[in-house]
Amino acid sequence: MAGFSSFSIFFQVFINGIFLGCMYGVAAIGLSLIFGSMQIIFIAQGAVMILAAYCIYWMVTLTSIDPFFGFFVILPIFLVFGWAIYKGLFQRVAKAGKNPSLLLAFGLMVLFEHLMSLIWTPNTRSVTTSYSTSAFGLWNINISITRLIVSIVALIATGFVFLFLKKTMLGKAVRGVSEDMRTAALLGISPSWISSVTFAIGIALAGVAGVATCITYAFDPYFGFLFSLKALIAVAFGGLGSVAGALLGGITLGVLESLSSYIISAGWADAVAYAAFLLILVLRPEGLLGRRSAERT
Amino acid sequence: MTRLFASWKMGYLFALILLIFFLIYPFLVNAETSYMVYFFYTTFIYVALAQGWNLVAGYAGQVSLGQHAFFGIGCYVTAITWRAGWTGYFDPLAMLMSGMGAALVAIVIGLPLLAKLRGDYFALGTLGLGEILRVIALRGGRFTGGASGIGLPSSAYQSMSHYYFIALLITIITLASLWLMTRSNIGLALVAIREDETAAAANGINTLKYKILAFAIGAFFTGLCGSLNAYYLFYVQTGGAFNLNWVIIPILMAILGGAGTFWGPILGAFILAAVFELANIWMPELHPIFSAAFIVLVTLFLPDGLMSYITGYRHRILRKLSPFKWMLQKT
Repeated sequence: MAGFSSFSIFFQVFINGIFLGCMYGVAAIGLSLIFGSMQIIFIAQGAVMILAAYCIYWMVTLTSIDPFFGFFVILPIFLVFGWAIYKGLFQRVAKAGKNPSLLLAFGLMVLFEHLMSLIWTPNTRSVTTSYSTSAFGLWNINISITRLIVSIVALIATGFVFLFLKKTMLGKAVRGVSEDMRTAALLGISPSWISSVTFAIGIALAGVAGVATCITYAFDPYFGFLFSLKALIAVAFGGLGSVAGALLGGITLGVLESLSSYIISAGWADAVAYAAFLLILVLRPEGLLGRRSAERT
Repeated sequence: MTRLFASWKMGYLFALILLIFFLIYPFLVNAETSYMVYFFYTTFIYVALAQGWNLVAGYAGQVSLGQHAFFGIGCYVTAITWRAGWTGYFDPLAMLMSGMGAALVAIVIGLPLLAKLRGDYFALGTLGLGEILRVIALRGGRFTGGASGIGLPSSAYQSMSHYYFIALLITIITLASLWLMTRSNIGLALVAIREDETAAAANGINTLKYKILAFAIGAFFTGLCGSLNAYYLFYVQTGGAFNLNWVIIPILMAILGGAGTFWGPILGAFILAAVFELANIWMPELHPIFSAAFIVLVTLFLPDGLMSYITGYRHRILRKLSPFKWMLQKT
């Protein structure tokens, strides 16, 4: 293990990377779902995450409810929120094509960012609890309890989305639309209904990722864009439109960042991530897990 | 607006009037203190940036999200060559090198990206390029000045009107080359690639060559704007040079006006720049919120861009005025 003083340090860095990657993964699944049904990159995903983080911040500071309870609060609210965004804004714009939708997503991102900085000031915030710093040791490795729980929640959320897509009729319809919208419409599936469902789920996942972020990291209103970019890279790692791929892509990215910031330096971690991203795009554009499709436009 | 007036001559006349206005404007006011001169200066740069993107994305259909990379290269080439003493203040050589440097990177990165990636994958790839270059510039040590950037001798500053005219010149060159390109075989090839790349290739168009040509020329003009920006600020730093605003705002302008049209991005640049400036003056705290809300509203109600709306409106009006029916004839 070149660059590592011992195997346990390597493992420690690795585990931290996995925890970080789980959060990228959840955000990436949302992004991937929205991309699947609407063919747009929903760049405001990170801003929505941070919005959820601030909601939890408010909840914790005003009512001192445990932040983990936030998962149950945020999930239904953001499901409705995502559905409303689609019905109110995107359904209308999606007819005009991809560029206006992308523009709309960008406008929403800036709007959210600055509304948040107006309401909650641009200062960096974090949600702390009595057990924030507690950790347990496992073969010389420190495992933070909050990060562990957050990662497990992220995995559970992914599992539910996976089951939803594989086992329910609605999930089958979602997959059908993302594979071939025209054929799906011919078979009686309404693309706009499916898009609203996937949008709601995508936004709810962003909410879950936001709650996870606020419990484990400090955040500010403009933090979201970076997260959108990371989620985007994770999606590209896994292949656009694949759920398991997005989660694995997120974890790969988290580990890659964590390792490179330990071996080289923290400043280069982003460059390594982007370079890997470019390499994967050029060498394996369908992603690490994706199937090669006939047409990629 | 050539379509608005539906004849080449009217379009030329309109462009000429605009050009004369912009040429004499700095002499009508005090160029050093006039807010409008500053406003036009920034808007010219945005027009050139928006058209640089429009050539790649609007005409050739290759949505690039990496224009800020070329802008940043322009900034850094100008700053580094000036610091090394090879070039000076407002050196045409430095500006040319900035543009060529950006174009060179566009060709080198465009060869693998444009050959292998289509659609969103290309957009993601170019976004990655910009971010990699930002980190490289940040970590470049003494060569790029690292996080503290490169300070340039600001005592060289002479007059705001110099900036105004150079920005105008860059914009005119950009517009002229875009006009000529889009009205030649190159423009036809680019539009054919945008509409259906496979069909274009089947019809004997060397798609890679044309895509790279559009990408490199767009990068060249973006690099020129970056060079001018370095001269204007006398300071180059990663956060400013590789700022995502240099890609996002021009894209907004181009889409607002109508991507793939000649006049659309110009119109979009002027409108959006004016909205941003007015919002900044009237309500400085709420400015970004207002601007973002404006973008959301525009996409909701004018998703195809202003040009398609204007064109459609013109047809409706002209159909009622039968004596002017000749204006509907295609040029």
